[in-house]
Amino acid sequence: MSSVLERLDRLPRRNLTVLAIKGLSTLVPGGWHNITSADDLISDVLGSSDPELIRQVRERADALSRARHEGYGRALSLYDAVNRSQKAAGGLRLLANIGGALPLVKRVADLTPTSETLQAADLSLKVAAEMLAFTQVNGLPGDSFGDFAAALGEYAGEARVRMAALICFDALLPLGDQALQRLDSLLGGVNKRDLHQLPAYAGMAKLLPGRGDGAHLTFLRRGVDQWLGWAGGFSSQLGLTGQKAVQALETTLGPWQGGFQQMATFLDAFTDTYQHTGVQAVARRLVERAAAEI
Amino acid sequence: MSSNTTSESMARTLRWGVGLLLVVSLSIGAFLLLPFRSWLPGGTVGDVPLNQVVNGTAFNRLFPEPDDGDQLVFTQEKRGFSEARLKHGGQVKALLAISDVSTAPEARRKFETSQSRLQGWPLVEQGPQATALLVADRFQIKVIGQGDGLEAEQRQILIGRFNLRGLAALKSASAPRASLPSGPDSAGRQSLERRAAMEPAS
Repeated sequence: MSSVLERLDRLPRRNLTVLAIKGLSTLVPGGWHNITSADDLISDVLGSSDPELIRQVRERADALSRARHEGYGRALSLYDAVNRSQKAAGGLRLLANIGGALPLVKRVADLTPTSETLQAADLSLKVAAEMLAFTQVNGLPGDSFGDFAAALGEYAGEARVRMAALICFDALLPLGDQALQRLDSLLGGVNKRDLHQLPAYAGMAKLLPGRGDGAHLTFLRRGVDQWLGWAGGFSSQLGLTGQKAVQALETTLGPWQGGFQQMATFLDAFTDTYQHTGVQAVARRLVERAAAEI
Repeated sequence: MSSNTTSESMARTLRWGVGLLLVVSLSIGAFLLLPFRSWLPGGTVGDVPLNQVVNGTAFNRLFPEPDDGDQLVFTQEKRGFSEARLKHGGQVKALLAISDVSTAPEARRKFETSQSRLQGWPLVEQGPQATALLVADRFQIKVIGQGDGLEAEQRQILIGRFNLRGLAALKSASAPRASLPSGPDSAGRQSLERRAAMEPAS
């Protein structure tokens, strides 16, 4: 298995994913810088471009990400699982969209899960993956719940573009502008069968706390509840809407004629937003630690 | 008759061989797939057992109190490591960290040639933005300037405001359990003597 920094080095500099995030980042103050070089990241954190120091940090970071107990690798496999699931679901929905026009594959269209409940469940899995990844990477920082909440807020603030992408691509575009307000009631309608239709669930089930689908559902709803408070404030502060998201995406991807839902499907099927920004977020935390430990 | 016995003994060795193979493959499988996996090397940093590394929770209370207008946000806490960001008005000024060098013995090396001291402990500058202090030959404190950066002096002042005495005290508290509980000092010396006695004479 390749280390976190090796994966950072292999991230694309320019592709559809990068363009989509770039477009969306115009909505977020501070913007987004596509870091794809571990050496650049290390010298940014360390404030030095001494090759010997960079080599030491890199060596330490690789040792840390190789250690299974440290959780950096596990966080990445969470992001991978969610990404695989998103692509599979996006591909199916894309097929369904095309299928609507072709009589031969029309039956596929009838079979594909397009319901809003499934979309809501998918979003809740992503939020849960985000929280699990946070604890895998950062542990439980601080001595009190207030410390922990501050750490979570700090992490979310650092990953503003990533969170904006999650809100726009997985909530506002597919579920409409009232998505965050409706999410809780939508999740209430998710049953165990729906959960099993999500490919990511199979990969994540053993990492979710609690035993059995019922406990996992409760955990997902609770996790989303926590996240909603923060996400609601964040999106109203930036004034995020589906319309604005599409306009922002058009600045880099070109004009878009279709509806919001189709945009969401297109993004699901062809971009790795979540995985791309996930690797960058984990790499930064890993480098911050390695720089402190050398 | 004789050919019969050879084939019989062949069959027996074959049975034994298959049996052994089964047992070996099962135990290897069990080791790789069942929770025994955590016993395999590679689970922890530098293969140092977790109970020999001080938990990051113990470090949190030793961080300096932030000045007025500054804010200290803890960002990571793992075995042998705790890190916080010193922020001022939303801008990160510095990363502050305490780590247990028992998983990173190479980190100790840079202090060997150090001439400068802070409260008696060796101090090292690493590049233009990082300052490190080794406390009790076991814990490393690091301050890394972020954003606009900090002067070396400011970083050293920050390091001096950590609870260094409390940090040094953690070492004896985390001494291996083999040492006798007759006071940290004598226990430490005793176990040292014992270790020396156990060294082979050759």
